[in-house]
Amino acid sequence: MLSPTLLLQNLIFGVLLGSIYALAAIGLSLIFGVVNLTNFAHGDFIMLAMYISYFLGVSLKLDPILTPIIGFPVFFLLGIAVYLAIFHKIIRAPPLSQIAVTVGLLVLLRNFALAVWHAEPKSIPRTLLGYSYRLGSILIPADRLTGMLISIATFLILHLFLTKTKTGIAMRALADNLDSAALMGVNVRNLNMLTCALGIGIVALAGGILLTFQPVNPMTGLIYGLLTWSIVAMAGLGGVSGILLSGIIFGLADAFTAAFWDPRAREITIYILFILLLWFRPKGLFGRR
Amino acid sequence: MSLRVEELNVAYGKVQVLWDVSFKVEGGSLVSIIGPNGAGKTTLIKTISGLLRPLSGKILFEDQDITGRPPHTIKKLGISTVPEGRGLFPNLTVKENLIMGSYTIKDQQRIEKTFKFIHQLFPILSEREQQLAGSLSGGEAQMLSIARALMSEPKMLLFDEPSLGLAPMIVEKIFEVIKTLKQRGITILLVEQHVQHALELADYAYILENGRIVLEGRGEELLENPHLKKHYLGL
Repeated sequence: MLSPTLLLQNLIFGVLLGSIYALAAIGLSLIFGVVNLTNFAHGDFIMLAMYISYFLGVSLKLDPILTPIIGFPVFFLLGIAVYLAIFHKIIRAPPLSQIAVTVGLLVLLRNFALAVWHAEPKSIPRTLLGYSYRLGSILIPADRLTGMLISIATFLILHLFLTKTKTGIAMRALADNLDSAALMGVNVRNLNMLTCALGIGIVALAGGILLTFQPVNPMTGLIYGLLTWSIVAMAGLGGVSGILLSGIIFGLADAFTAAFWDPRAREITIYILFILLLWFRPKGLFGRR
Repeated sequence: MSLRVEELNVAYGKVQVLWDVSFKVEGGSLVSIIGPNGAGKTTLIKTISGLLRPLSGKILFEDQDITGRPPHTIKKLGISTVPEGRGLFPNLTVKENLIMGSYTIKDQQRIEKTFKFIHQLFPILSEREQQLAGSLSGGEAQMLSIARALMSEPKMLLFDEPSLGLAPMIVEKIFEVIKTLKQRGITILLVEQHVQHALELADYAYILENGRIVLEGRGEELLENPHLKKHYLGL
């Protein structure tokens, strides 16, 4: 039963999935690294993004893959609002207080989704990308391939932004040393706000892509919260490429568990990977600190 | 008059560190503040640069009240800091650290000009340009910290113990650089434990002990002061 075709199929599947997971996690990594905020509500922002994508898909008859055109600016502004209303007040607080506050936000988002969209899973009625490319006996689903291309493009742009522009370099400087960044003339509040706007904005991209192949329910945030935190923990704090690699590792774990064990065991694998990681490499695989 | 500090009281949490500290730094001069560990030297620099808010008192720069303003606005007025322990961005390259130093400057030509000046002053930094700042030796790191502070073409420089943790030969070099900067007309406030050097360079100096100014005078005068000789120079 362990045929090379099946292995290759799942390898491709895992890479496709993983690059989309990485896109879902990069915002969390930015906010954690630059703003120095432990945000436990990230998974629920992903859930919200999927619902917004669903809402736009149904009401405007928009393909979910296109919904980030509206979703990104909306979530960009949401990031600014959440920063000013909540995050700004807790950035100097100890991690435990940050966790308490963001868990509160998580509960709020989850119940908001429950009230508006109810408990039954929702999925998009149709997507233009519901077909697959066929390479011999190997299938490449068009939705996930498009997702991966969007993800890689986003990572490339983000990498160029963080290494070639003054604002991007300042973000990395802020991640390194807050006081020194302020002494260089960086308006720390504004830069934190921009980081949150960008971090939450990218979640809208990930939400739209995820909805093309996965339904959403109000508890979706639970699994994506764990998944994205695991990816960030595995990557450690460093460049964006670490997040992409770490996302792909989790995507592979996910695909192989589903294929060779049981699709319902995905969460177990993620938990086990996460625990092993904390045990042996608490700094992350690619982290510098 | 460049910088004037009046009756400054500063606390770190609930512990008051500075008590009624007053001093002034004339434009173009170099003033040293000398004191042992825990005297409040770093607190003083942090308060002037805007990282700490004082309980009371006033800080005036070029007759403008800058008390309690956020650090990025103070930088824009022309005050650059070489912080305690260098304060570099270890995961940024040497070049990127310097770019951060010029963060407030919009004119690309001026930045290029300052880059050239920095490379003359510290040729070693141009060799290390693409290296991560975290991989530099102590002396190189201090040079980078000074170079970074110069990137914004400051009117005034605040030095927080630039000699800390450096080998004697490197210390000589750093003070040589500070002297050059003074000659270029930059107003300098130098906070130091290294008494001999700091007093030799200083036009005027203050001694800070337990958060209070206990002694002041011209640099060479203080070098002859019996209290100072006994407690700081071990003579």
